[in-house]
Amino acid sequence: MGGISVIKTLIEEEAELIVNLEQIIRSLESNKRLGSGSRKMIANLGSRLINIAISSEVISPEVDEIEHQLSMIEAEIKSFDLEEPSTIWDSGSEEAYAFLKAVEEAGRLTKILESRNSSRKDDALLHRAHDLLQRGMAGLEQEFRRLLLQNWEPNMEEETSFQSNDEDNADERSITWIRDSFEEVEQGDISFHESVDCAIDLPQEVILFLKNIANLMYRSNYGHECFHVFVNARKDVLDECLSSLDIEKLSMEDVSRMNWKLLNKKINKWLRAIKPFVEGYLVSEKSLADQIFGEIDSVSSTCFFECSRASLYALINFSDAMVISPRQPEKLISILDMYEALSNVIPQLATLYSDDGLCITKECEDALRRLGDCAWATFVEFRGAVALHSYANNGDGGVNPLTKYVMNYLRVLADSRKTFDELMMELGHESSATVSPRISPQRELEVHVDEESYTTPTQRHFRSIVTMLEWNLNEKSKLYKDESLQHIFLMNNIQYMTQKVKDSDLRTILGDEWIKKHNGMVQHHAMRYQNVTWSSILAFLRDEGINNPAINFASRNLIKERLRGFYLAFDKVYQTQTRWIIPNEGLREDLRLSISSTVHHAYRSFERYFQYIREKHIKYTLEELEGYLSELFEGAQASLHGSLKK
Amino acid sequence: MEDPHLQDIELFQKHVANSFSDLISSHSDEETHDVTPLLSASWLRQLLDTFLCCDAEFKAIILCGRDPTQFSKPPLDRLIPDHLDRYVKALDVCNAITHGIDLLINWKRLAQVVVTSLSQKPVGEGQIRRAKKALNTLLASMNLDDKEYSGGSFHGKSTERSKSLGRRVTGPGNFRSLSCTVAKSWSAAKQIQAMSANISQPRWGEANGPATVVFIMNTVIVFVMWVLVAAIPCQERTGLTTHFQVPRNLSWTQNIIGLQEKIGDEWKKKEKKGGSGLLQEVVKMEKVANSLMEFCENFVFPLEEENAGELEAQVEEIADVCRKMEEGLEPLRRQIREVFHRMVRSRAEVLETVEQIGKQSAPVPY
Repeated sequence: MGGISVIKTLIEEEAELIVNLEQIIRSLESNKRLGSGSRKMIANLGSRLINIAISSEVISPEVDEIEHQLSMIEAEIKSFDLEEPSTIWDSGSEEAYAFLKAVEEAGRLTKILESRNSSRKDDALLHRAHDLLQRGMAGLEQEFRRLLLQNWEPNMEEETSFQSNDEDNADERSITWIRDSFEEVEQGDISFHESVDCAIDLPQEVILFLKNIANLMYRSNYGHECFHVFVNARKDVLDECLSSLDIEKLSMEDVSRMNWKLLNKKINKWLRAIKPFVEGYLVSEKSLADQIFGEIDSVSSTCFFECSRASLYALINFSDAMVISPRQPEKLISILDMYEALSNVIPQLATLYSDDGLCITKECEDALRRLGDCAWATFVEFRGAVALHSYANNGDGGVNPLTKYVMNYLRVLADSRKTFDELMMELGHESSATVSPRISPQRELEVHVDEESYTTPTQRHFRSIVTMLEWNLNEKSKLYKDESLQHIFLMNNIQYMTQKVKDSDLRTILGDEWIKKHNGMVQHHAMRYQNVTWSSILAFLRDEGINNPAINFASRNLIKERLRGFYLAFDKVYQTQTRWIIPNEGLREDLRLSISSTVHHAYRSFERYFQYIREKHIKYTLEELEGYLSELFEGAQASLHGSLKK
Repeated sequence: MEDPHLQDIELFQKHVANSFSDLISSHSDEETHDVTPLLSASWLRQLLDTFLCCDAEFKAIILCGRDPTQFSKPPLDRLIPDHLDRYVKALDVCNAITHGIDLLINWKRLAQVVVTSLSQKPVGEGQIRRAKKALNTLLASMNLDDKEYSGGSFHGKSTERSKSLGRRVTGPGNFRSLSCTVAKSWSAAKQIQAMSANISQPRWGEANGPATVVFIMNTVIVFVMWVLVAAIPCQERTGLTTHFQVPRNLSWTQNIIGLQEKIGDEWKKKEKKGGSGLLQEVVKMEKVANSLMEFCENFVFPLEEENAGELEAQVEEIADVCRKMEEGLEPLRRQIREVFHRMVRSRAEVLETVEQIGKQSAPVPY
């Protein structure tokens, strides 16, 4: 009798124990956050209870086991407060994986329950399992997003140093258009920021955790959420990367209307950004996508394609904006730089977008082609300007602004000759066969004459440009009525061209032969000038017709007449030609010297007749003449060395 | 003053009229098979095809065999630069549309989540919560006012990436501010307005000349851009319908006007409800999403038999929309890019021809 009552008491006690246990569990459930120690103990307790349960024969193993497992899962999941900003990962990797495991378990249980013949009990359990699964997945989704968006490394702030220190150096490679105050700007280097680390900043263990989350989400039919979160998060990240590289959003219209100075700055930013963006950020994004979605078929490349597309387009659209902006010759160098920069990254882009994203690579290649076409069209524009520009001559026969512009332009363009060569060969414009229709066929022929000695497209095109310039200068010289001035003008301009070529890289492009030839032309014009101006003047000092002046009255008259004629002509030349200019000092001195010596010679020789005439007819001494001659070609600054004697 | 291209010009008018007539009839209810609903993705692609054909024909008439000196004389000396300028504005519209399509693709993904969750049987609280979460995000994004659709996370945006414990604002509003390449101050409606200004109808004497051709092309391009902006969400579209008037007295404009009125009416109806655009698939999606949301909010476990049938039907409906979007959006996006590139090329070709006229003095900036 006592035995049964003992058992009864035991059972009652047990029941009481179990009720108490239930109460404890309920109060634990309502505890929002349990310390890890507590959770460990609970887990421990749980498994011990299961063992007790298993060892007793009263309880049916399967359903209740599932129920227990669900309870454990519930405990695990609810130990993280998923409403508040949850920090699953930040609680430690062990806890994080425990959470993951719990969710996985929930998924597994749902599958088990689904495959069984459902009883009502099973249905309730299934409902609960799904519920837990959803909660867990929501938590994982949130954590997935948070970890992807988080700024792992402080280098984001340092990257603001991109925001140009070089604001002021921005137009270092530009040449201001001829209309503005003419400035030669020294070429500098566009510094490329390769030193900044543009790689993923997520730590390896985080990536691993994310990978596990992704795998689980896809296995459990939560793939859509996973994809969605990833694409949107990383899209934002790439956006910021572009921003940190100082790339702004500009509309096509804005760019097409921008003034050159500002546009140049934007171009430089673009040039600095494109390599780090493609080879740094994009490569590391791809790697991230591969690492996280590597085990899930084809998701990785689609993800990468979708999240990177927009920011890549932002870069490419800028190059198209350049293409549609007005053609201005000073843009050529920038366009060539952009062409080079873009063509350098295309191989990398082809690798990155080899599956889904083939169309992007093609778009970039097309954009490159358009840039190339634009470069050519801009060059043609430049060439046309060289041939047709009607900039007025200065009254002083000096170097025409067009000459300065063209030579400086070529000098800077020479820096990009490698790209220029490649582009010309790509486009099939290796020779300058297509010269402007405005140039006569005869002139065209002259352009082609020594093309055999020029092998690269750069050489050929530059040669044709300078020839065109010469032709234009020839036409311009005809606008001077005075033939002497025509020669001075041509002498000055060709000398300027030759000097520029000698002093720069253009020497290797146009060659020493060209320099020699043009030096010759300078000398030729100098001689022609001397001839035209001075032969007729010096002709006054000839001996012809002066016979025996001692006794011959007519000869004495002739002497006086000749001298008078000489002085008149000389004065005229002095007054006119002191205002002319020969900017090059050496040339000026040489010419003066040459004139001086011929005048000296002729005058000295004529001086032997002075004894036959009265002093009042002799206006200048030789020294005075030479003094006046030394003032020739001073230009506007000429301060007359005393006024001419009356 | 008859243009030697007179025949071409007349043909052009006819082609335009016919193409737009096709666009109207392709969605009419009289056809029982292969109906392309108005403003569906495939209808829009047809519209863009029409545009590309018009552009090609336009270029042929304007550029081929034309005396180049015409370009430096009235009316072309004024019309051409103006036309080219209009193309540049259209490029910006294309970019905005491309990003609008990205947004639509996002919506499609959210809808797919809804489909997945509600297709799972038996439907329980877990699935409902999951569907609700996605529906919330989807509907909030759709109802967002265009004005709040400001530029992405570029300079000075409030969601700064902060260090370690920091997080972005991940509310529903964030899904509008996807990375887009549109500047903060850009407005689609204003752009269309600017484009439609100065489309001067040719005067009496110019009616048979190139001025007509340019006028036709201008009208077509503005109309096409207008339709796109109405269909697909992009920044700042208030007052869209008021900005564009097509002259009624011309033979070839009738069909365009017809379409414009129809679309305009739809736009007016929707305008107050927020900016998800008139794309046929989106309109449908919004409707079903709202209905499903209601269902979710009133859900009590377990699901009744009669409701289960209803639910399944709606889930199938939204799944169908997803499928259509899956098939239609990507090609549409690609085609917009193609239109973009074509316009860049067209512009370059016209510019090149005009520039070859040989300017005596300094280059004129176009």
